[in-house]
Amino acid sequence: MAHLALINISKEFSGITAVRDFNLSVEKGEFVSFLGPSGCGKTTTLRMIAGFEIPTTGKVTIDDTDFTDKVPNQRNVGMVFQAYALFPNMTVAQNIGYGLRIRRESKAAIKKRVDEMLALIHLEQKGNSYPHQLSGGQQQRVALARALAIHPQVLLLDEPLSALDAKIRVSLRAEIRAIQRKLGITAIYVTHDQEEALSISDRIVVMYEGRIEQVGTPFEIYNFPQTAFVASFVGTLNTATAEVVDPVKHLLQIDGVQLQAAEGMDGMQKGDKVSIAIRPERFNFIAQERKANVLDCQIENITFLGSVVRIQLLIGSNHFYMDTFNNPFLELPKIGDKAQVTCSREAVLVLKA
Amino acid sequence: MNLPFSWLQFLRKRVARPASTGKSQRGIPVWSWFWYILGGLYFVLPLYATLDFSLRMKRDVISLEAYKSAFADPAFLQSFGYSIMLAAITIVVSIVLVVPTAYWIRLKLPEARRPVELITLLPFVVPAIILVFGLIRIYSSPVKLPFTSLVLLNSLTTSRYGTIILIVGGYTVLGLPYMYRSVDTGMRTVDVRTLTEAAQSLGANWYSIMMQIILPNVRAALLSGSLLTFAIVVGEVVLASYLGVPAFGPYLFLLGQHRAFEPAALTFITFLLTWAAMGIIQLITGGQGQGAGAH
Repeated sequence: MAHLALINISKEFSGITAVRDFNLSVEKGEFVSFLGPSGCGKTTTLRMIAGFEIPTTGKVTIDDTDFTDKVPNQRNVGMVFQAYALFPNMTVAQNIGYGLRIRRESKAAIKKRVDEMLALIHLEQKGNSYPHQLSGGQQQRVALARALAIHPQVLLLDEPLSALDAKIRVSLRAEIRAIQRKLGITAIYVTHDQEEALSISDRIVVMYEGRIEQVGTPFEIYNFPQTAFVASFVGTLNTATAEVVDPVKHLLQIDGVQLQAAEGMDGMQKGDKVSIAIRPERFNFIAQERKANVLDCQIENITFLGSVVRIQLLIGSNHFYMDTFNNPFLELPKIGDKAQVTCSREAVLVLKA
Repeated sequence: MNLPFSWLQFLRKRVARPASTGKSQRGIPVWSWFWYILGGLYFVLPLYATLDFSLRMKRDVISLEAYKSAFADPAFLQSFGYSIMLAAITIVVSIVLVVPTAYWIRLKLPEARRPVELITLLPFVVPAIILVFGLIRIYSSPVKLPFTSLVLLNSLTTSRYGTIILIVGGYTVLGLPYMYRSVDTGMRTVDVRTLTEAAQSLGANWYSIMMQIILPNVRAALLSGSLLTFAIVVGEVVLASYLGVPAFGPYLFLLGQHRAFEPAALTFITFLLTWAAMGIIQLITGGQGQGAGAH
């Protein structure tokens, strides 16, 4: 039984479909990220779970109870906003205890829970401070504590780190994940930052134009993107149009260069045009004799990126990137050199249209 | 935060700044001081002239005679008290009308913001004399349901309470531009939409949100709008004269026709009251002013 279920959800605004045919089951304690570009419907979906938007069709259930038409204050869902949304007239402790005050819990119970939450976010000394006296990172931790204080069934996080600088973002996302694991709470996290989604999630829902493109673990999403959009949105990717040479042997051709894929060509015919994708780090310079996937190329550019060296290759008429770990003893070719590179069959991803 | 400008705050900051940075390296001092002093004189000189004149009731002697004379007149306290009562009712009506309206527009009807702003600016375009004649024309006789003899509302100009309702209605309209703008600006600075959603997600209903989240966070804006409404009501002459109420505006006007020094004394007192009110606002909202906008 799914803890949170979104069943055939769609949402229209003045005739424009923001979310369509959205189906998702989330298990208790799971951390699921909605990843996609601006306007893909991820925040709208989150707001439908929170109750700020009512789905045009479909339903939202938590523990098999239908919450679709319930107003936000009748759902036990905690939410963390991008802009923190702390109440400026209240202290940190009052902010954290607000939800419990609304639930008319006793003063002693509120104080106990507030102290627990302050300890959880390591801000024990800041209970009497006002939000404007805290840094952005501290404010967002307070917002997280406030959302968790009410023992929500689901925790929703709407791009909570977007307003913070890069260093704090990295440390705070680890803290959010650690707290979520510790409490075993189900969390839905909206982000447009692929690195954030890949590093924090149990599963990622990649969305595009209101639709789910792919649902999978970070490993699956990165290594086995199922659509051209997922492939292009998550990580750096070389894409090209290839012609099917032999669908049984998974042979393809780009500009006369033959490539072999491992799978993904069922139902294709010889001569069909397909999109293929290869991650830059899956290319290697040829060290020994190989028969398959030997690609003649010319070195167009070499960029030093710290731990990685990115080499731009011209293969046929396609410009591909190749990433290789930086090694001071590595002999790199020079710009303009002819070379041969290779990749495994599994590295050649045949994308769905 | 929409706080009235404070000269004291400004001067304190200037004095606190080290002398080495206060010179022409930044191009600040000479011209800035010139314009500030010029502006200051523009505001202070008429006030000083009024004060000086009000103290010279006795020939060649500085005295508080005009103030004593003004306070000795029972009509002064009576009319002033009456105007304060009208101002208090007007402020309450304005808050009840404007706060939910501005809140709802920010929350649910952002497209209505421009038209509503335009409507609230109408008192700048339509003079008070038109407003009062309109009120008298419509409400001096019973209001009937069109094409029937069914009376919806009795004449309001013939009873004391009816007149108070009319004049408070009129004053609410006159104060609308100030109250609406103050509240709307206050709501913009605290992002009421996100705060509302945050409160809803924590289980708050509309009443709790309004009383515990929205009102405390637009307190400064409410006080600013209330102060301006107070100033308008206390000094207003046209509506009060034509509706025949014993308010402070007509009293001051009549006094000015018969006496010379007392009106100057009363004008100075009203200035002091206004400044005192502004000081109270600074005092009450000082903390909020720092907090609301900071992130």
